Amino acid sequence: MSRIIVVTSGKGGVGKTTTTSNLGAAIAKQNRSVALIDADFGLRNLDLLLGLEERVVYTAIDVLAGECRLAQALVKDKRLKGLVLLPAAQNRNKESVQPEQMKKIATALAKGYDYILIDCPAGIELGFRNAISAAKEALIVTTPEVAAVRDADRVIGLLEAEGVNKINLIVNRVKPWMVEENKMMSVEDVLELLGVPLIGVVPDDEKVIVATNKGEPLVLGEYDSLPAQAYLNIARRLEGEKVPFLDLMANQGNLLTRLRRMFGG
Amino acid sequence: MTFEPTISLDKNDELPDSSPLVHRYAQIYLKHDGDQMLLVLPSQAEINADLPWSETWQELKHLLQTKEQSWQVGTNVCLVAQDRLLDARQLQTIAETLDDVKLSLLTVSTNRRQTAVAAATSGYSVEQKPATQPLIEASTEAAETVSALADPLYLQSTVRSGVEIRHPGTIIIFGDLNPGGKAIAAGDILVWGRLRGIAHAGAQGNAQCRITALQMEFTQLRIADAVARAPKLRPRRLSPELAFMTTEGIRLAKTSEFTKRYIFSSPSQAWIDQNQEK
Repeated sequence: MSRIIVVTSGKGGVGKTTTTSNLGAAIAKQNRSVALIDADFGLRNLDLLLGLEERVVYTAIDVLAGECRLAQALVKDKRLKGLVLLPAAQNRNKESVQPEQMKKIATALAKGYDYILIDCPAGIELGFRNAISAAKEALIVTTPEVAAVRDADRVIGLLEAEGVNKINLIVNRVKPWMVEENKMMSVEDVLELLGVPLIGVVPDDEKVIVATNKGEPLVLGEYDSLPAQAYLNIARRLEGEKVPFLDLMANQGNLLTRLRRMFGG
Repeated sequence: MTFEPTISLDKNDELPDSSPLVHRYAQIYLKHDGDQMLLVLPSQAEINADLPWSETWQELKHLLQTKEQSWQVGTNVCLVAQDRLLDARQLQTIAETLDDVKLSLLTVSTNRRQTAVAAATSGYSVEQKPATQPLIEASTEAAETVSALADPLYLQSTVRSGVEIRHPGTIIIFGDLNPGGKAIAAGDILVWGRLRGIAHAGAQGNAQCRITALQMEFTQLRIADAVARAPKLRPRRLSPELAFMTTEGIRLAKTSEFTKRYIFSSPSQAWIDQNQEK
């Protein structure tokens, strides 16, 4: 049984697309086949983050219009076997697709891939409804900020009303040192409010921006970074493995703050 | 009576007239009626202005989600559409949504000819009633007499941001009321969880109504026409608390102490501390 998972957040700019690309690569690294669907019609950038922009020939719109076969529109990732992308059209807007059409595409892809990840646009309008129409599960991405959490809460409510009940939470861009100083909501605060199971905590890291600009998912980088490890862990947890959460404070702070922490200050 | 929404730049911080709220109570509701269930849509006049169909549908889905388990599989449903205009596609959507929770739409009761025609064409039995005749005694009662409250509404879920629960009776929430969520009741509001959003009890003007929660962390509380904001600094008390109207506005007390100390005084329309009176 393949799994159709939508990556959504409500608020924009919290890292849905970054999460989708990295998670897609991480799942492919576990020797699973995965198809990523960019549901952000008119504002596509999943192809950019994956570094596949120049290889896009057809888009989902062409498939729906019958101008090409589904298999022709899929862009294969050369670096990872089993990872493909179905790009969105850039020259259209979100109204050009209907929920039933998205459902048709996702169900067709589900026959050939273990995972279907759908990158949802921000907002709760038609684009959102398109993206969730086929989904059986959802990954909610939020940052530890009041506005992002509030929107995540709204989106969870909408997903539940649509009958998507398997919802997991990814808290993105956590700054452990800020949580430590009580300047940022902690993961616990977010969890307490949203009341859905946590599947991953991704620390804030400049390497994410560098990797994004290079069009290379962090997970594929040679060097080990904390966020990359976090994404790999999420992929393993999706597979049902029990993986302990990262200790985000391990490499943080100077000698003084580490000592203070040691003495419980 | 229809409610005309007005947009003005009033600088005063008053709550808008509470009368429109009475009409805005009208939400979709589901009730048992013998061996079938009635799904009652609010009448055109009860919902202010034109509520888009997608909102109505969203509301229906939410209602069915929170009410699940209270019926037997395959129970027949009679859709009481009142004076709402429904086309064949909307009827089909309702039928499919009901089907998802193992309910089957059988009858459509309406007083609009077009709706009746659409329902008949789609193969549902139709009860067409003249517009003047009240369809459901309960719903007209609630609209006409303020004192008669509807049965309590019991919700077994967290009320999340963006969700507004309106009910012409008491609301019981077995879960949290999250920030951005709203509960508006003509009666009391009981939250068996954290109250972090907005709760409005006695929205039809009954100052005797109370709001209680296991943990009071509200954004705003309203009782009848009074509004209270959360104090800036609040000790994190873990005991259940109760909000009620006093002569000086809305106050909080520990639930365990409330009944011992306070008594409702009709002339002042507020709860009065018995100990201070003596």
